[in-house]
This record gives sequence, structure tokens and C-alpha cells, in this order.
Amino acid sequence: MKISKILALLALIVTIMSCENDEPQPEEFGTFQLYFDNKVGASELTLSEPGSTNYNYETTNGEKFNLSRFGYYVSKIKLEGPNGELYEDEVSVSASESKGYYQILESVASSHNVMLENVPAGSYSKVTFTIGVAEDGVQEGALGGVLDPAKGAWFWNWNAGYIGMAIEGTAENSAQQYVDWGNGTETKEKTFAVHVGGWKDVTDNENFVNNVRTRTLDFGTTVSVSEELSPNAHVVTDVLKLLDGVNIDFSSTYSVHAPKAGKPFADQLANAFVVHHVHQSSNGHGH
Amino acid sequence: MVMVINRVMKKCLAIGWVLFSLWSCGGGADEKPGEVLAFVKPEHFPEPTYTFQNNPITAEGFELGKKLFFDPILSRDKSVSCNNCHQQSRAFADTPLHPTSVGVDNRFGIRNAPSIANMAFMKEFFWDGAVTHLDFVPINAIESDVEMDESLENVVKKLNASEAYRTKFKTAFGTEEATAPYLLHALSQFTAMMISADSKYDKYLQGQEELTANESRGLALFEQKCSSCHAGVLFTDQSYRNNGISSDFGDKGRGLITEDEADEGKFKVPSLRNAGITAPYMHNAKFSTLEEVLEHYGNGMVDSPTLDPSFKNGEVVVGIPMTKEEQGDIIEFIHTLTDYTFISDERFRNNE
Repeated sequence: MKISKILALLALIVTIMSCENDEPQPEEFGTFQLYFDNKVGASELTLSEPGSTNYNYETTNGEKFNLSRFGYYVSKIKLEGPNGELYEDEVSVSASESKGYYQILESVASSHNVMLENVPAGSYSKVTFTIGVAEDGVQEGALGGVLDPAKGAWFWNWNAGYIGMAIEGTAENSAQQYVDWGNGTETKEKTFAVHVGGWKDVTDNENFVNNVRTRTLDFGTTVSVSEELSPNAHVVTDVLKLLDGVNIDFSSTYSVHAPKAGKPFADQLANAFVVHHVHQSSNGHGH
Repeated sequence: MVMVINRVMKKCLAIGWVLFSLWSCGGGADEKPGEVLAFVKPEHFPEPTYTFQNNPITAEGFELGKKLFFDPILSRDKSVSCNNCHQQSRAFADTPLHPTSVGVDNRFGIRNAPSIANMAFMKEFFWDGAVTHLDFVPINAIESDVEMDESLENVVKKLNASEAYRTKFKTAFGTEEATAPYLLHALSQFTAMMISADSKYDKYLQGQEELTANESRGLALFEQKCSSCHAGVLFTDQSYRNNGISSDFGDKGRGLITEDEADEGKFKVPSLRNAGITAPYMHNAKFSTLEEVLEHYGNGMVDSPTLDPSFKNGEVVVGIPMTKEEQGDIIEFIHTLTDYTFISDERFRNNE
């Protein structure tokens, strides 16, 4: 009888505590902003209409092109500091949300900013994140938010999983012919589409590739997080590094829609993302 | 005695209090209305693969999934429902009249629609294993231009235009509108419950029924000659193999997914549960009777670079050597895998 009374009392205390506050607050917290700035070499990325023959970019090999779509998924963001500081962005998924997954779309300015909240106060010197949606995300089944296939998620039906990165545009040398798909959609002449997907690791089959990549980027300095200090890391994602890295020849590479063909691009992701600089001030960037 | 009851009751009250408080603080998205329907794993079955923790089955979710399963609203012109190619009398495989699937505008698919029983226990889906989670299975049928030829986005739009559906989504999931993840969850709730585990063979395993002499001989032969691939109580090892249907891989099968030449012409080893009522057979519906299938394994295999090594002795294709009598016994055994309880289960019957 005594035990049950204690249990009931405990339950009551837990209830009161848990309803008052979700997390105990023994320390101080702040925010940290990641700004994803998509570029083509030194130029800002400006999107063109699909099929436009106005080529505003050029690869080192002289392939003239423009971009009509660019974006990627980022998840499992982690900040680390020199004194053991650690922040891991919460991943919480269900049919109604995909917290911790971000779809960075060049066409949606608000998606370029990722605000990390409840970061423990301290100094931080590097950020780690995953590009693409890894096995643990795919195998959760149908999810909401940015992973909802009816709300713009980049989902592959034919080989179920998500496209981790999409690069689309038009290139002078692309061999793509015009295609009328008969259902109101068309593929314009000279366009190209590179969809990097594939998440499975299968032993003894090197064709079966996992194109999900995790990058750790050093700030080259430390920044402090506190209640008053909300730093900002400016991550540059350089499309040119991806295209130059694979020595793109648009006459043969203009339609990449399978894991194996996407692998060379995935292998360049390590070079394409860099932290350009960090800001210590809370609102220094004005992006 | 009274003391004991009193103590137990108080403990229950305390636990109830904890549950209540968890519920009262939870709020919003985590609330799942309705009672949880029991997914009962048959004792002799392996653990399910389905992620029930993300999508607990409720009476309302199951009912919504059932309504969707039988509703051609999922297809572009409202002409094709899941049930078109997955009929209960065939253990939710297609009828022999549709050797390969028939979609909108009478378009023909290239593969035979298999039974969708016991999907809650499978690791991968479709003949080529393209899909690795049950939730994503319907998307392929909905968006295939030879099946339903509709976009998931537009299905959601159509569902939201229906007040009846909006109400059902709200009752099942507490959402104000139908969304794709909840649509897929509802369908998974309905299909995950499709367990076929009550055939004569299951009753034999449980000591409730005897096999005939022919069936027993068939079982022994089956275990000796077939069960290395059609393994375990699911009657599949869930691997992909080329069983000598053709040397011309017009349909690359598993090779499409792995992008590996060594996998071309391989298809998923199908479960043989209910095989007696799911003719025709093979991915391309090549055979219309079990006799033809057994004859194929006995004498009809076509050699090709990816033919499963188990059918070869060195360079020679040997298939599975069997006498006609042995084939007949194996077929009699396969018929013991027909689950009449499953195909007459009212929970899966269209009652609208």
C-alpha cells in the first residue's frame, strides 16, 4: 500500500514537472544559424527558365550551361566545439513532420536558412551534416514535412528513396531531345537533369551504391553561443565544383536518374560544401 | 486477499495516472484517436518488418485504408482501384483473366500482380524489390502510367474535395486534411492486417489437422527440392533469382534496381502461400497451371548467364529432377497452403 502511494505521488510530481517544462534547464542555451549559399564558382546562383538558351555559366572545360533547379536535403546537423561542446539537431519524424530534415531549395529563399535552437552555450568550431536521406530516414516509411512526396519531396518511386541532390538546367552541348510525355509535361531540348539518389549499402555489389554523404566542415575559428550570442555559419555550396569535379560532358551526361550514374557526383560532395566564413554577431548577415 | 486486490488496484490507478498525465501533456500530433487494433503475429511466423511504432493500427485507420483500397478515386479517371488487381478470392493476387495488370485506358503492365498477403513480414516489395517499406508500395501503383496513372499529389487533392474522406482522415488520424503520408499509413494499416496463416498446412503444423499420404509425400519432396528458396513459413527466402524463364531479359528484374548485369533476369522468390489460387505464375505470367510450373522446374529451364547455380551441374542445366508422380505430390502439398479463412475473412471484404 505504501509503495502504491509513493508511486501515485511520484506520478503526480512527474506530471507537474513535465507539464511545466519539457526540459530541465541547468545551463544556458542559444541559437545558431546555418546559411546555405548556393554558388557557381565565384558567381551567385541565378535560376533560369528550363530550356532557356541563355547560358550564364561555363565549366572549366568550356561547357556552357545554366541552372533551372538546384537543391539538396540536409539532415543530422551536429555542432562541435573544442571543449567537448556538442549539439545534435533533433530528428523527429512522423506522418505529420520531418523535424531535423531540411530541403534546401535555391528557388525558396527561406529554405537557405536553417535555424538551430536550444544549442547549449559554449564555443563551436565545426559543423557536421548529412547530404541526402539515409537508410534510417527512408525506412521510417511515409513521413510528412519536407519528406512528403505529395508536397514537393523528391521521392523516387522506381527505387524507393529520396533524391539527395538535384541539379537541372540547360547546356549548349546537351544531347537531350524534346520529349512530350503526353500528360501535360515535357522535357525541353538541351536540358539536363542530374538526380543524385541511392541509399542502400549492399555487400559484394559495388554497383549498388550509397550516395548519401556526411560532411564535417571546420569553421577555421570558434564562435560562441549564449543567450545573447547567436552566431551564423555561411556555407557555400558550389555547383561548379560538382560539375568540374566529374569533368562533365553534357553531350553524354544529361540524364542522371539512377544511383550508379549519380555516384561520381556524390563523390564530389566532399569538395562542393565549404564554410566560407562565420559571424559571431547575432544578426550580422542580413540574409 | 482483499489487501492484494486493493494493492493491485492502487497500482493500476497509479499507472493509469501516469498514462493519463503523459496523454494530457502530449497534445496535438501524437494523439491517435480510436482504439488500437491488435496486429497478432501468428506464433509460428517471424517478427513483422512493418514499423507499427510509427503507425499503430486503429479501427478507424484500418477502415479508412479499406475504403481507399476499394476506391478507384486513386486512379486518374476513377476506373482502377487496388482491388482491380488484388482480389480477395485470389488471396489478393490478380485473376487469371489478367495475366499481367490492366490499368487505366486498358493499358497492360508487364508483370503479374502477386498476392499481397503477409506483406507485414516482407523486407522488400515488388518482383524486383524496388520498394523497401510497405508504406511506399501504393505509390508505384498510383503513379505508374500503365496502372493508375495518377499523381499522389492529385489523389490527395481529390480526397480533400470529399467531405466524407476529410471526416474519415480526421477520425483516423486527427488531421484537418488528407495528406499523402496519412493516406499511405491508412493503406498500410489495411494491408498489414492481411495475414494468411490459417491454411491446412498451418493447422497441420499446429497439430490440428493431418495431411493425406500424397500431401505428406509432397511436403517431404518440397522440403528436399524446393525449400532452399521457398524457405520458412513465408515460403520465400526473399532473395532474387533467375529460375530459367527466359534468356532474353526484356524485363531486367532485379538488375533494374541493382544496376548490375549479374542480376538481370532475376526476380523475387515469391511466397507459395495460396499458390493454388493465384494462377498464372512467374513475373511474366508464363504458366497458367501448377503442373506447367513443376514441368518447367523439371525439364523446361532456359540457360542464361544469370541462371541460378542451384539449377545447374557444372555447365549443364539440370533443373530440379522429379518424376511426374513426385510433381503431382508436390502440387498436392502446395494446395494445402491455400488459406480459406483468409480469402473469406469479412474484415477484408468490400462492404460499401
